[in-house]
Amino acid sequence: MSAPTGKTPPHGGPDAASTDAASTDGSGGPGRTTGGDPAGARAPRSPVLSALVGGLRIIWGNRKARIGLIILGLFVLLAVLAPLLAPYDPKDNTFERNLDASAQHWLGTTAAGEDVLSQVIYGARISLLVGFGAGGISTVISVVIGLSWGYLTGVLADVVNFVVNMFLVIPGLPLMIVVATYLSNGGISMIIVVIAITGWAWGARVLRSQTRTLRGRDFVESARFSGERAPRIIFREILPNMTSLIAGGFFGSATAAILAEAGLEYLGLGDSTVISWGTMIYWAQNSNAMLTGQWALLFAPGLCIALLATSLTLINFGIDGISNPRLREGSTGR
Amino acid sequence: MSTAPTTAQRTEGTNEPLLSVQNLSVVYEPVGAEPTHAVRDVSFDVGRGEFLGLVGESGSGKSTLGFALTALAKAPARIENGRVLFGDTDIAHMDREALRTQRQGGFAMVLQAGMNTLNPVRTIRKHFDDIFAAHQHVPAARREERAAELVGRVSLGPEVLDRYPFELSGGMRQRITIALALSLEPQLMVFDEPTTALDVLVQHAVMDTIRALQAEEGFTAILISHDLGVVLESAHRVLVMHDGRIVEDAPSADILRRPQHEYTRMLLSHFADPRAEHVRLPGLEEPEVTGPAVGEDTPSRAVAPARSARSRSGAGPSLADGLQLVVSGVTKRYAPPRRPAAPVLAVDDVSFTLAPGGATALVGQSGSGKSTLARMITGVERPTEGTVRLGDLDLGTLRRRRLRDLRRTVQMVFQDPYAALNPLNTVEYTLSRAISNLTDVPRDGVRRRMFELLETVGLTPVEQYARKLPHQLSGGQRQRVVIARALASDPQVMIADEPVSMLDVSLRAGVLALLRDLREHTGMSLLYITHDLLSARLITDDILVLHEGRVVEQGPTAQVMRHPRDEYTIRLLDAIPDPGRVHGV
Repeated sequence: MSAPTGKTPPHGGPDAASTDAASTDGSGGPGRTTGGDPAGARAPRSPVLSALVGGLRIIWGNRKARIGLIILGLFVLLAVLAPLLAPYDPKDNTFERNLDASAQHWLGTTAAGEDVLSQVIYGARISLLVGFGAGGISTVISVVIGLSWGYLTGVLADVVNFVVNMFLVIPGLPLMIVVATYLSNGGISMIIVVIAITGWAWGARVLRSQTRTLRGRDFVESARFSGERAPRIIFREILPNMTSLIAGGFFGSATAAILAEAGLEYLGLGDSTVISWGTMIYWAQNSNAMLTGQWALLFAPGLCIALLATSLTLINFGIDGISNPRLREGSTGR
Repeated sequence: MSTAPTTAQRTEGTNEPLLSVQNLSVVYEPVGAEPTHAVRDVSFDVGRGEFLGLVGESGSGKSTLGFALTALAKAPARIENGRVLFGDTDIAHMDREALRTQRQGGFAMVLQAGMNTLNPVRTIRKHFDDIFAAHQHVPAARREERAAELVGRVSLGPEVLDRYPFELSGGMRQRITIALALSLEPQLMVFDEPTTALDVLVQHAVMDTIRALQAEEGFTAILISHDLGVVLESAHRVLVMHDGRIVEDAPSADILRRPQHEYTRMLLSHFADPRAEHVRLPGLEEPEVTGPAVGEDTPSRAVAPARSARSRSGAGPSLADGLQLVVSGVTKRYAPPRRPAAPVLAVDDVSFTLAPGGATALVGQSGSGKSTLARMITGVERPTEGTVRLGDLDLGTLRRRRLRDLRRTVQMVFQDPYAALNPLNTVEYTLSRAISNLTDVPRDGVRRRMFELLETVGLTPVEQYARKLPHQLSGGQRQRVVIARALASDPQVMIADEPVSMLDVSLRAGVLALLRDLREHTGMSLLYITHDLLSARLITDDILVLHEGRVVEQGPTAQVMRHPRDEYTIRLLDAIPDPGRVHGV
């Protein structure tokens, strides 16, 4: 199947059109004269590429999303260049313990004698990996299940409905804890799997309802008249029309995954030998960092988690603008 | 009556103007796109009590102008320059609170999708109460009485006040929105396509109400519409708008008799009465005229087989065995929405035959069962009773796999070309998929076949059109792509479901002519579903009039139009605007 995965960046036109579906008669309301795809106006580029560029331009045009992209970019740089940026090896525990901030150790050292700044820098790797890994996997699951569920009717749809509802009603964190304890010591990949398994259901539900509205559209009916089979209609005709929704869902579940990872590590359910922001807080808590006045130990990784999650949420403001032109900044005219 | 000051001046609007628009320009400035100049340097006056029409095709800026006149223009639209003088005040540059109070006794607007502007969780009475409370222009003790009086004005009974919007039909809801606008006792009412979303017969009734109200209450009215017929029939004076400019401004009778601008002439030329002896549109003559014998009383039935026989013999051997579509005693019942109710009878005992190469029109308003019938003929739904046979194939018993094979012989042209093409797929992709799915054309021949199809529907140069995305095409071009896709498998039966109702008049004739030529050249038969009797007259030989799922009249198209027998057919024909009758032309 030539279906793009959930990571395909979003595009401009069709979702914009869908929000204006009210103006379906032939007469010219303002919707038709203005509702074009700004990027697609120049013809020769491939439609996918021009939609991609147009989508990025809209995201970049939103101030909140621009801030989010910059923060995310900084974290990505931090993660990629960690060996160059970090002053010491994060696992090097040969320093004096519980040092306060100093010129040698900007954020002090841990109770085990490791450099906190180096750990924060390396910790970005795990958070990004889990965020994008678990976010990506749960997005793929929710796309496959949500779209098929929305397109199909009958008994099978009822079965899927039951399973998804089950995942939705079981509280997330306890389920995660149970699964994580069961699969204990699987390392970081285990954490990713656990978060992905517990995180897809809401996205599937959202995509299912959008699929149900799209499957009634004439272009889906006419694809059927062109002799297309169901999988191709679902993934080639319907899916590309929901890319902004999927991208939004991806950033949403990446945010949730980053927070969940930190939560699991903090509870000591992950691999406590891995250097991540969650384990840093776990060890800081274990060594009573707040009582010894080493606030940086808790504060630095906590702030990073919050900043990374915020950046992804901010990016989603820009993605909203792709699917609904009225949410683009400045378009309210106030 | 409380509208006494305006009723006093019921003239044709020759005195001082109520509304004066001076050099108005409106521009759309969407984020991240080029600005669009929707209204350019427009100036006109409207006298008190005048009924003004504003006509134009989609994108002409007529709705934008209407919004600007009532100070409802919202971002990204912006009034670039010019003034809108209402009495002595310039409403183009007024603050919000002043505008809000101005809405009572000032100007009101009735919107196109007006029936969707009612709040679904509030009764109609609450809607009136809101307005009375906001403007305090009716004493609390009189509000009840006034609301009942207002709905009476739009020919509804007082009992609708206790209904919720979803309990009312589209026409009733549109009447309510008119009554709501009227409750403000406006001096100026702007109607933006007030009947476009309604059924033909309802359209006619609502327009009658608007006309009667205007005459009684004496308010000044501006009617915005794409339908020249409706506007000419109602308005005293008509502005014709094209590309954001007003190209003609004249009394209705003059527009009808002596149109000055070529654009107005073009619009008028696409307007004809299907009851006339001979009907023609630019580029599209009535079937009889193309036949061998052009005569006063040539029965069209005699001409049709002759022509289809001719075209079949010329089109190659594969079409000699054209399949006959036989619908016999078909009934479709849907399960009732609630248990104790009776099942919904969508189609009731319909029988007809569509001969190979023939063209039949299926006419009726929405809910008449014509689309359900089409769905059964395409095998999407199965009849509850009766059979649909194509050749010796019974479509009601087909399994899914065979249904896919049916697509080779029965194809469909959809109503809305803006919705029938996936916005992300190029024309080439759309057509190629149909070709490779439905025909045995080898892989390397698909592209050639696609170019052939584009050429057939008149989209040349073909290479250029193949690369385009739907939003780069006009509505008419899109509909041609939809037709090309339906033609991919050389179908024997083509079902066209309102193929031109979403298109501007200037594009309609072209698409209709294409459909008719295709039928003549390929020998396929055409089932043309429509509510538009004029187009049915032009491209079909036979007609079936459906009403509440039942065939009420059936026969050669020209004969049914000229001498309708059933009362329902007569009502349909009477609902067609006839400006000539009003203006004595």
